[in-house]
Amino acid sequence: MTIPARMTVTDRRSPALAIGWEFRQRHRWGLVAFVGYLIVLAAIKLVIVTHDFPIDFDSPETFAFAFVIPVSSYFTYFIAVFTFGLDGDIAARQSMYPARMFVRPVSTTALAWWPMLYGTAASVILWTATRLLALWPSSLEVPVVWPGFLAVVLLAWAQALTWMPYGLPGVRVLAMVLWLTAIDAIVILALHFRASEAAMIAFLLPQIPLAYLVARYAVARARRGDVPDWSGAIPWLRTSGGSQPRRSFRSAASAQAWFEWRLSGKSLPVWIGVVLPFELLLFWTAGTASALLLEYLILVLLTPIMIATFAAATVRRASANMSDSYGVPPFISTRPLTNAQLIAAKLKTTLASTALAWLLIIVAVPLALAWSGEMPLVLERTRRFAEAVGTPRAVVFSLLVVAAFIASTWKQLVQTLYIGLTGRAGLIKGSIFVTLTVLFLIGPIAEWLIETRRLGRLWSKLPLIFTLLVCVKMSAAVWIATRLYRGRLVSDRALVAGAACWCVAVFALYGVLVWMLDTPHIPHYLLMLLAILAIPLARLSAAPLALAWNRHR
Amino acid sequence: MPAGAVYGLVGANGAGKTTLIKHILGLLRAESGSVRVFGLDPVADPVGVLSRIGYLSEENDVPGWMRVEELIRYTRAFYPSWNDAYAEELRQTFALDPSAKIKSLSKGQKARVGLLIALAHRPALLVLDEPSSGLDPIVRRDILGAVIRTIADEGRTVLFSSHLLDEVEEVADHVTMINKGSIVLSAPLDEIKQSHRVDGRVPSLDEIFVARVGRTEDPSRSLPSSGAKGSG
Repeated sequence: MTIPARMTVTDRRSPALAIGWEFRQRHRWGLVAFVGYLIVLAAIKLVIVTHDFPIDFDSPETFAFAFVIPVSSYFTYFIAVFTFGLDGDIAARQSMYPARMFVRPVSTTALAWWPMLYGTAASVILWTATRLLALWPSSLEVPVVWPGFLAVVLLAWAQALTWMPYGLPGVRVLAMVLWLTAIDAIVILALHFRASEAAMIAFLLPQIPLAYLVARYAVARARRGDVPDWSGAIPWLRTSGGSQPRRSFRSAASAQAWFEWRLSGKSLPVWIGVVLPFELLLFWTAGTASALLLEYLILVLLTPIMIATFAAATVRRASANMSDSYGVPPFISTRPLTNAQLIAAKLKTTLASTALAWLLIIVAVPLALAWSGEMPLVLERTRRFAEAVGTPRAVVFSLLVVAAFIASTWKQLVQTLYIGLTGRAGLIKGSIFVTLTVLFLIGPIAEWLIETRRLGRLWSKLPLIFTLLVCVKMSAAVWIATRLYRGRLVSDRALVAGAACWCVAVFALYGVLVWMLDTPHIPHYLLMLLAILAIPLARLSAAPLALAWNRHR
Repeated sequence: MPAGAVYGLVGANGAGKTTLIKHILGLLRAESGSVRVFGLDPVADPVGVLSRIGYLSEENDVPGWMRVEELIRYTRAFYPSWNDAYAEELRQTFALDPSAKIKSLSKGQKARVGLLIALAHRPALLVLDEPSSGLDPIVRRDILGAVIRTIADEGRTVLFSSHLLDEVEEVADHVTMINKGSIVLSAPLDEIKQSHRVDGRVPSLDEIFVARVGRTEDPSRSLPSSGAKGSG
C-alpha cells in the first residue's frame, strides 16, 4: 500500500484504522454522494412530507426511484468496494484480495475481517438510514430488520467468494452467481410464503459467521499462494491458444477490433447467456395469462438494454488494465492508429456485441415459447393485432419495436464513450452522479406533474421543448464537427459520410413515424424533431475528441 | 538527433526523462514550442510517427490476458515493415513460449516480450524508457547491448533513458543529462569524458552526473567546466 505524504506513521498506528482509511480515502467521493443522497431524502421527508405537498409517495414508481434504485446501486457499489472488486480480474484463478496487503505485518484474521466489518457496517448504515429516511408515511409494508441482515449476508459471501482462489478461470463468476442467486431465491420464496421476520433472521443470521470463516480461509490460502490449478484435468484448456499458427489480421483495424472484442465485446452476450435462461423459465409460470406473458416478454426484451448500461463501463474505458481505469495506457496510445480508428474499433465491437446478444434472444425466445406451450397464445394475440391495424402495419410495427430495442442496446453501449474516453476521473464520476440524481428525481417529478395536472400544459409545450433540444443538439454537433475538422481527427470524407448517414437515418425514421402515426393530433414537424433527437449524433461524434484529449494530454 | 546513434538520456528520478519521451510519442501536447519526429508532429500525425517507432515502456503494460503468439499476431498488423523471420528469431533467442500468457511470465520475460514487439518491425527509432528495470544483469548486458548496437550499426537510432549510468556509458554514443526538465549537458560521450578529465584521469559518467546535477546541493563536488554543450 502506498502511503501518501499526508499520512504519517504516527497518524495510523492501528492496522484497522489504516485499512479503514484506505477505503475512506479512495472512495471518498462515492461516500460524499451517499451522504448527499441521505441529505436529500431527509430534506424530502422533513420539508415535503411534513408540509403535505401534493406528491403521491405511495406509488410503486416513486418507491422504486426514491428507494429501490438508489439502495440497489449503492449496495452494488459497496460490494465492488469492500470485495476490492475494482482492482482485480474477476475471471482470474487468483484471489482478488490485493496481494500488496499480504506483506503487511498483520494477522490473516485481521486482513480478512476488517474489510468485512467495514462492509457490514456500511450495509447496516445503508439499510437503516434509507429505512428511516426514504420511507415516508404510506401503506407500503417494508420489513424493519431482516433486509439489513440480507445485505450483510450477501456482502459477506461476496467477499468470501471473491477472495477465494479457484482452480479454473471464470469459476469465481459462476460460484458467485449461483451462490448469491440461491440465497436470493430462498428469500423470494420466503416472501412468497409470507415468512415472519423472526424466521428470516433465523435463516440469515447464522450465515454471517460462516461467511466470515470462509473469507478468513480464502485469505489464508491466497496469502500463502495456494492457487489450485485444475486445467490439467481438462485437456482442451491445456492447449487452448497453443502454438499452432493462426490466420493473420487483415489490417490494423481488424487487429484492434479483435483486441476490443477480447477486452469488452464478450461481456454483453455472456451476461445475456447467463440471465436469459432464468427469465425464459418464467414462461412456464404464465399459463393462460396473456398480460403476464406480455410482461415477461417485455422483461426479456429490456434485459439487453439494462445489461448494456453496465457493460458500457468496460466499453468506454480507454485502458486494458484494471488498475488504470481512466488514462490511455502506453500500450494503446502508442498504436500507430488515429483516434478515429481506435474509436471505430470500439464501435465495431459494440455492433458485434449487440448483434450476438440479440441473436441469442431472437433464437431463444421462440424456442422457449414453443416448449412452454405459450406459442399459440402469442400467435393468437398477434393475429388479433394484425386484424386491428392491418398486416403491413403490424409487421412494420413489430419490426420497428425489435429494431428500437436493438438500437437502444447499442446506444446504451456507446452513448457514454465521450465521457469515459476523456480519462478525467472528475468528469466520469460526475456524470455517474448526475445520472443517479436524474434517476432519483425523475419519479417524484413525474408524479408531481401528474398530480398537479401540469401534464396537459407540458404536452402543449412539447414542440417548444423539442425545438430547444434540437437546437442544443445541432449546436453541439456543429461545434464538435468544427473541432474534429480543425484538429484533423477525422478525415473530411468521414465527416461528410457520417453527416450523410445521419441524415438518411433521420429521414428514414421520420418516414416510418409519419406512416405509423398518421393522425391529425401529432403534427409532422413534431415527428421530424423526434427523429432528429432519436438518432445519435453529438455524443457519438464527440468520442474521437474525448480520446484525443486523453491520449495527447 | 542525427540518425544512426545511441542516445543516452540520463537524469535523476523525476528529472523529466519520461515526459520528454511522452512528447516524442505524442502522448503529451507541448504547451509551448513544438515537437517534430521524422519532421512530423506526433500529436497531429500519430500514425506517421508511431509506425516508425519501437517503444518499450518503463511500465511494460502489455495486456496480461494475451498469449505471446496473440501479442505477436496482434502487433504485426500495425507495422507494414514487420519482419516475421526476425520476430521468430527474437522469440527463440529470448526463449519465449508462444502459448504462454503474458501475465504468467516473469518480469524479465515480460521485458523480453516488450522488446520483441518493439524490435520486430525494425523501427527507424527505438525508444527505451528505463528498459533495464525488468532485466537481471546478465540479460541486460547480453540482450540490450547486442540489440542497441545492432540497431545503431544498421543506421537506426536509439533513444535510451536510464538512471543506471554505467549502463548508459557502455552503450551510448551521445549523452543528454536532464535535471528538473532542463538539459544540463548534451554531447557525444567521448567529448564529455575528455572535457571532464581531472589530472589526466577520465571520470566515470556517474561522477560527471553527480558533479553536474548535484552542483546546487554540493558545489565542492563540481568537476572543472567542460567544453560540451549544456544549458546549465
